[in-house]
Amino acid sequence: MSGVSSEGMNDRGSLGRIWRIARWEVTRSAGTVDRKTIAVVLVLLLAAGFVGYSAVDDGVGLEDGLYTVAVDEESPYYEVATADRTFRTVDPGEPADLIIYANGHVNPAETAKGNAAHAAFSDAVERHNEALMIAESDTAAAFPVSVTLVYEQREPLEAVGDGDLEADDGDDGTEADGDSLATDGSSDDGTGSETADDDASAIATPEFGGGSIDDSSGPQTPGSITPPFPFQSLVLAFLFVVPMNFVIQAYGSTIMDERINRRGELLLVSPASRYEIVAGKTLPYLLGVTGLVCAIALVIDGGWLSVAAVIPIALLFLAATFVGAMFARSFKELTFVTVTISVFLTTYTFVPAIFTDVTPIALISPLTLVVLDLQGESVRAVEYLFSTAPFYLGSAVLFGLGLGSYREEDMFTQKPVPSKVIDSIATHVRGKASVFAMPIVFIPFVFAIQLLTVSLVFALPETLSLPIIFLVAAGVEEVAKSVHVYAGYAHSRFDSSVKTALGIGAISGLGFFVGEKFTHVVQLVGLPDIVEGQAAFGPTLAGDSLLVLAAIALAPLVLHVVTAMIGALGASRGRRSYLVALVLATAVHATYNLGVIVLVL
Amino acid sequence: MSFNATTEPTWRAKLAIVHREIRSLRAEKTIVLALAIQLVIAGFSGFLVVGLVSLYDPSAVEGGEMAIAVTGEDREAILDIVNQQNTLSAQPYDDPDTAYDAFSERRVAAILEVTRLEDETLRITVTASDEGLGTTLLISELQESLRAVEFEERAANVDRLESQPLPVPETDGANPYVGFTYTILIPLLLFLPVFISGSIAVDSLIEERQRGTLELLRVAPLSFADVIDAKLVATAGLAPLQAVAWLLLLALNGTTIVHPGPLVVLVSVLALCIVAGGLGVALYAPDRRQAQLLYSAGIVGLLVVTTLLPEHPANTIAKFAIGSETTTTWLLLVGYSALGLGSYLLLRVGVSRLKTEGL
Repeated sequence: MSGVSSEGMNDRGSLGRIWRIARWEVTRSAGTVDRKTIAVVLVLLLAAGFVGYSAVDDGVGLEDGLYTVAVDEESPYYEVATADRTFRTVDPGEPADLIIYANGHVNPAETAKGNAAHAAFSDAVERHNEALMIAESDTAAAFPVSVTLVYEQREPLEAVGDGDLEADDGDDGTEADGDSLATDGSSDDGTGSETADDDASAIATPEFGGGSIDDSSGPQTPGSITPPFPFQSLVLAFLFVVPMNFVIQAYGSTIMDERINRRGELLLVSPASRYEIVAGKTLPYLLGVTGLVCAIALVIDGGWLSVAAVIPIALLFLAATFVGAMFARSFKELTFVTVTISVFLTTYTFVPAIFTDVTPIALISPLTLVVLDLQGESVRAVEYLFSTAPFYLGSAVLFGLGLGSYREEDMFTQKPVPSKVIDSIATHVRGKASVFAMPIVFIPFVFAIQLLTVSLVFALPETLSLPIIFLVAAGVEEVAKSVHVYAGYAHSRFDSSVKTALGIGAISGLGFFVGEKFTHVVQLVGLPDIVEGQAAFGPTLAGDSLLVLAAIALAPLVLHVVTAMIGALGASRGRRSYLVALVLATAVHATYNLGVIVLVL
Repeated sequence: MSFNATTEPTWRAKLAIVHREIRSLRAEKTIVLALAIQLVIAGFSGFLVVGLVSLYDPSAVEGGEMAIAVTGEDREAILDIVNQQNTLSAQPYDDPDTAYDAFSERRVAAILEVTRLEDETLRITVTASDEGLGTTLLISELQESLRAVEFEERAANVDRLESQPLPVPETDGANPYVGFTYTILIPLLLFLPVFISGSIAVDSLIEERQRGTLELLRVAPLSFADVIDAKLVATAGLAPLQAVAWLLLLALNGTTIVHPGPLVVLVSVLALCIVAGGLGVALYAPDRRQAQLLYSAGIVGLLVVTTLLPEHPANTIAKFAIGSETTTTWLLLVGYSALGLGSYLLLRVGVSRLKTEGL
């Protein structure tokens, strides 16, 4: 503490104070980890690294001995069955998942396990064949087929016939425009040996390495071609997110520390404002993450775009952790809050990035930009803004929420997380303008939750997943429209007359509607590709009368206003009636959505 | 009698501490959050695998025939083989330009240009559109056909090869998720409660140290070792409970768990071991950052170093779950039990030597 109190911070500017708190944070945090701990951690990580490195060759062995196989020694498959570690051989006659007879007949047990064993065995045979062929000296005979994949963007149907597609003049390399997998298959009329060499190298690359730019540039064997799937780049992109999970652990601890035994009081009474305190405490972690991100980018050959795309993710990680640490009641709770943040943010950034090459919607995750960058593709400024703006906005909102309770009366009190959330929202609810603005601010979170729901229930059968998506989508929007109203009422910011409640509800609903429409417009202007599907409805609409058009545009407005009024009315009557109103509003909203879909279909 | 008189209140006091520990977890709803997190992780990995499997094996998801154009001098070599694949229909085109027009007009999904080179190898150039999922489907279907072509061509080269490739057994109707369920999902669902319990133990003890409430417990009619014991029981007990819940859920979902008993025992002893370790870390390190750093480094280290065992713990779990256990598997279970007990005893010895005033 000496550094803070003795020299007086008045005579410096705001930046000076932030800098001082940041420096203090670094020295104090470094002091909590002694040399012995560092040594122990280093030894542990070194041991893990060493063992991990040596285990890389033969895998972790998660599938070792999973299936039993009774194989006759005369069988042609004897070598495969004994050599592949997924299978454990038992003596012929004993019960097994797979029985292989001398004539090469393979007979699986009549169970799900038997079937799975059969499929696994067929993969093992393929791997065995591949290994046999690699060992052959006559490569041309062993790999008699070479495949070159060329991906091409097809012109939209109307434009066909211009005949100006670049791939037509295949003499100087087929250049598929704007694609990661463009290859130069036709340029080398390869002599036999050259092709063979290429084959061998293509086999040597692990199967999952395919689909990225570097190893599809030559002819491959049928076994080694892979569907376009940016797996390698995706894994590399994932590397950026991993260290963030460790940084937020430390960051959460230091924020939480301030709240234990009123330690933060000392800083609060200093001349530094709470904004400066939080900025100072956050700065070292933000710089640390940035440093890590730059280092990773250097190692995996990512460009500036990767760094610029990952920084907003890091910001959101920190912002969410800050809020979590401000609300948590104990370290235990903090652990769960940080793990929740890790899991949700990782999922949210990772899942869309899987579809980088498939749909432009993947751009809602900044990791997609990283994948594109690693594949050597360019990204337009609009696309960068589209995918990172929600992250910047989201972090700003979260820091705002957390700062709302970074004050003496909230910091040191023990309250359940939900009521802390309500308190911190209430600090921002002042007057009608804020009632209008808050739903707009919540929109990025609404989208995030809706998207996560879709990706998580994806695996469930449709009869289950569709109702879940409907209810969650409607429920989340209703909460976004009414939670600040409830917070306002809980802190007596409005009078509880029916008229006021309805008025506030209407303003809130209007705010959400405006926000939603605004994001639609942004999408339309910035990324017309994404709304390709929606645009399909365009021509049919254009033929209708102006009245119908107005009705279609205004129906959502009416819906949002009405349901927000229901929510506000409930909120004015206390917690229980708010929950009832929320359920009611969600039901109305979901019914409306269902109605629209039925009408459109 | 005097013996009884002293032990009974101790037991009651111990139970009170266990209750206190569980109460604080319940009040904070942390356990609900913990279950939700595990569900999300499981759902996420499930999503990944379903996504990945269907990307690589799209025939698992849907049918439908795709037309492709086959052109080039030696197109006859592959025409029949490609047509055998019931998801593809190959059409011969004499003129590459007509084939290209068909491609542009969306009448065919891809063009295969086939040429035999001087060294007798076939060179196939596949031109496909880069239109996303459809292409992914197409390429993985084509891969099947091209592998068949490769097999045929190899068979023609018999005299030039030293060894013969084996025919690949035909399979059908296998659930592609079996391997994932047993080797990833079940171990994940059983390990997570253990690690979470350890983390709770670290946090709980560190927090009492930092808030100074450990002092208050010292006036209770118990030794410090008893306090630690109670914390151990409360947190380590949660893991097998969650494990039972997950196993039940999986069984309801139609996943057969062959040996649930040994699995629960395994989770219990692993939880004992990890929680004892976590408490040891929390006694050694005075600050949460330091303690969590040590704890997580330790967990990562353990997970990697255990690959040196004859079976990785995850593999042991998979084998018990699918019913492929061997003597080694059972011996390892015994070994883990001994380890769990050993770490508990070690913690006790450590605690008894500790100067509690320093905490």
